[in-house]
Amino acid sequence: MTFRERLQAWRYNLVPDHLVGEILTKRWTDNAIPFLALVATLGVFGSIIPGFFKLTSLQESTRQLGEFSLVVIGMTVVMLGGGIDLSVGSIFALSCFSAVYVFFILEQSIWLALAAALAAGLVFGAINGYLVGYLRLRAFLTTLVTFIFGRALFDILVTAYAADVQLSQASSDVLDFIGDGTFWGLSVSVWLAIILAIVTHIALTRSRPGWHVLAVGGSRRSAHNAGIRVRRTVFMTYVFSGFCASIGGFLIACRLSGAGPGTGLNLEIMALTAAVVGGVSLGGGRGSVVKGLMGAIIVLTMTNGLIRLGYGTGTNQMVLGILLAVAVTIDIRWLKNRHKVLNEVYVAPVYLKMGETQSAAPGSGTSYELDNRLSAADHIGLGELEGPEDVILDRDDHLYCGTRHGEIVRFFAPDYKRSEVFAHIGGFPLGLAFDRDGNLISCVGAMGLYSVSPDRDVKRLSAETARSWTSIADDARLRDPNDCDIAPDGRIYFTDSTKRYDAHDWALDSIENRATGRLLVYDPKDGSTKTLLDGYRYTNGVCMAHDGKSLFFAESWACRVHRYWLEGPKAGTAECVIRDMPGYPDNINRASDGNYWMAWLGMRTPSFDLSLRHPDMRKRMTRRLPQDEWLFPNINTGGVVKFNEKGGIVETLGDLSGNAHPMVTSMREHKGYLFVGGILNNRIGRYKIEGADPNWTSPASYWGGKP
Amino acid sequence: MILDPILDVFRGKAVTIPPLDGAFRPNTRLDDLPAFAELAEPDNLLAADGRLLVSSGNAILAVAAGSEPIVVETFQSSVTALALSPAGELTVGLESGKLLIAGKEVSLPAGIRCITALAHAEDGTLWLANGSSEHAPSQWAADLMKKGASGSLWARPAGGDFRKAADGIAFPYGLYPADGDVVVSESWRHQLVRFSATGNRATVLTHLPGYPSRLAPASDGGAWLTLFAPRNRLIEFVLQETHYRQDMIDQVPPAYWIAPALASNRSFLEPLQCGGIRTMGIHKPWSPSRSYGLVVRLDRDMQPQFSLHSRANGTRHGICSVAEKDGRLFVGSKGGDCVLALDAITGGF
Repeated sequence: MTFRERLQAWRYNLVPDHLVGEILTKRWTDNAIPFLALVATLGVFGSIIPGFFKLTSLQESTRQLGEFSLVVIGMTVVMLGGGIDLSVGSIFALSCFSAVYVFFILEQSIWLALAAALAAGLVFGAINGYLVGYLRLRAFLTTLVTFIFGRALFDILVTAYAADVQLSQASSDVLDFIGDGTFWGLSVSVWLAIILAIVTHIALTRSRPGWHVLAVGGSRRSAHNAGIRVRRTVFMTYVFSGFCASIGGFLIACRLSGAGPGTGLNLEIMALTAAVVGGVSLGGGRGSVVKGLMGAIIVLTMTNGLIRLGYGTGTNQMVLGILLAVAVTIDIRWLKNRHKVLNEVYVAPVYLKMGETQSAAPGSGTSYELDNRLSAADHIGLGELEGPEDVILDRDDHLYCGTRHGEIVRFFAPDYKRSEVFAHIGGFPLGLAFDRDGNLISCVGAMGLYSVSPDRDVKRLSAETARSWTSIADDARLRDPNDCDIAPDGRIYFTDSTKRYDAHDWALDSIENRATGRLLVYDPKDGSTKTLLDGYRYTNGVCMAHDGKSLFFAESWACRVHRYWLEGPKAGTAECVIRDMPGYPDNINRASDGNYWMAWLGMRTPSFDLSLRHPDMRKRMTRRLPQDEWLFPNINTGGVVKFNEKGGIVETLGDLSGNAHPMVTSMREHKGYLFVGGILNNRIGRYKIEGADPNWTSPASYWGGKP
Repeated sequence: MILDPILDVFRGKAVTIPPLDGAFRPNTRLDDLPAFAELAEPDNLLAADGRLLVSSGNAILAVAAGSEPIVVETFQSSVTALALSPAGELTVGLESGKLLIAGKEVSLPAGIRCITALAHAEDGTLWLANGSSEHAPSQWAADLMKKGASGSLWARPAGGDFRKAADGIAFPYGLYPADGDVVVSESWRHQLVRFSATGNRATVLTHLPGYPSRLAPASDGGAWLTLFAPRNRLIEFVLQETHYRQDMIDQVPPAYWIAPALASNRSFLEPLQCGGIRTMGIHKPWSPSRSYGLVVRLDRDMQPQFSLHSRANGTRHGICSVAEKDGRLFVGSKGGDCVLALDAITGGF
């Protein structure tokens, strides 16, 4: 092995590249960027400003934060509904003025002042909502207009009444408490923000109106088609935003005991920046209250921090603008490219040097030598069937197979011309086995282990096993249950081929070649599923040995067959009995002469074997070429291999013409015939085996003669 | 996006090839016909003395309708190029690097060892394409996978000696004399280049969807261009992969390389691409393939007019030469072991 190759082996087998892809599949990665930004912001400003985290300093900051967060929550809801509200700043200011006017000039109670503030906010919110929701004007322009209008009105009023407010003698304990007091260490504004955040969060994630908002924001047209009243929903988001802004305005009125020209200035930009920086999508439908709050903290920390560092308003605005631009870019690029990134990084190949193999080429003289015998097989269901991965026959000679349409089809003996859908499963039924009572047990791709009773009752037996401690992707779920067989005591041994790819992407697993295949056992007595073995390169066929004391299972991409002992001194351990085959093994089943049949789903090619030693090349291949162009193992040629109890190869059958059975994933011997299936084929083959016992059947071999 | 050039460093640029569109729009015309004659690996086709001559291995055969091919002449090694002088002398290039005119060996300058095409111009000049200075014609795949660009173009004026007209050509594989110049198909660069006798070059047609091989005159002044193998994104990717490619050349038998081929899907040891998987009994005709059959009609300006195809699921692959005779087009499919005859050779897009 050259130094370079050794380096490659270390690099690709020890560095867990696959985790990047698995992390990216998680929904919470959407929150990761704003969260990191939050931590970074707090870290930077906390370290360069002395006393940033002091209690008094924090008290003032959080009071401001409470008011600001309220506004941001309103903005978040509007954005989730697919809109934007630029008028929050002016609504905030007007509500503030309304409260101040009622309290200081009219000298009414604080509660009436609150009512006035709320009224101002709701009225402006309703105007926005009516224009945007019902008249369907552009949200951006409409709220810009209300922003300008509201701001102008506020400026006029403030200039007219500022002096009167100054002279007013009105005072109230309640007002002072709201403005300056604390309750359990937190100011009223923070409490209000927390309560509103919780209520809004629950409403958005767990209530009908909240879901409507997200649905409308996600796709207006679909929401309409689903019967959601889109216009009313949009209207309500603006009213809610006005409501939030008005509470904020009331709180600042209490805190400052007045209103000035600077009240609520630039608030809309700050709120918008906060929401976007937090990760609420401008396109609508994606985001959450928590994200909005994270953004609020980031923005407020930055602006306050900059002020305390001595930078003026200009710098502040500039930083906000840059922050907004960066956030918007990341938001759009992330949304657009997330799946592309995932596609590019998900396949994380590992290094493997395959062992030297004997040739299977015709004329090579080895026991693996492929021939053309299978092309002579009769066909069953040609053109009707799609994807019979496994085939099985019952005691009455009827033939069963799964199809890629999610059905188990039954062909009737003796000529197998007539067929019916025996049961509809939904997923792709792969491995099949009959238990003692004649129930058909099936491994269903991407779903789990299922049982179909003779009365066609479909029952799920298992869909999960224990989760391993170090997994990022949820490996409790059975991702690609592939083949099963049943021990004399009724326990069902089955394989889950890979943790990395869904059943229909099974061939992609060969490119990656990561050892994540498992052998599992389902116990019908207590319904439990246990993982027996883990870390094989695509575990595939399972077959109980004739004496029922051990089982054989195939490890496809490593071209090996292992024996797992159920009892005896080696119970619970596996040993490799066949290694370095020239083909990739699939299902294994019993043969009448005490040997075993094994299907080859494909053949090794020198170019693919070499690529396994070049994981970097495969990595680049998956990133630079579309999937149709990727180098695959040759799964256009397969075969059927017979091996004995000790793992010695008896004979090999093939279809080198490629016309009838280019690849073989299963075969089942029954009364002197071999029934052959293939996951990518459109037929089942029936091949007369020379010299086979014409009375031998698999159900009798497993469960004895007819009851 | 403006960041693409920066990101490309990390993620690598997508490997792309020209699409089969316009004049190259696929059809199945080469697979629709019964074989005109069946013989092993027909390489060069030539219409001479009212006969159709075809080179196959060491032999030149005369092929006619309704009869077995008749051996005209056999040689010490494979015939790699064939042409007819204005005087009617048969000019033959051999795998061993020898050149015979009317049966007599012509001494060649030392640089010529890989004769891939010969053509007599009307003014009596004999043009000779020397595919590579390192490999014999049959080792073309090695030349491509080693990124060879050592081919040269030679000219022998009437009564003169061979002179090198140009070198540094990436496998010149076809010649078409035109007005004192010659159009050369430069295979590994997927283009047609026009050379003057003094070596001035001008590209005529670029971004071909396959590897161009020989050119043959068409009756109304244009030309027929054969493309002996398709471009394939995996192969172009492997050409950029230094270590894998080197290991492949060193350790894998050439027949099983990830490289263009004259015929494919003959052994299960050949590489397979995802799109080439047989599903439900179907081999997709548009799937990526190492071999293909493609003949292109070029107009007087060497621009493509229409094309004849044998697609990925067809068998008339590896077309290295065609000849037009009496309004019929004869197509030699080296990968399909047959010669085809097309009557209505019109088309358009």
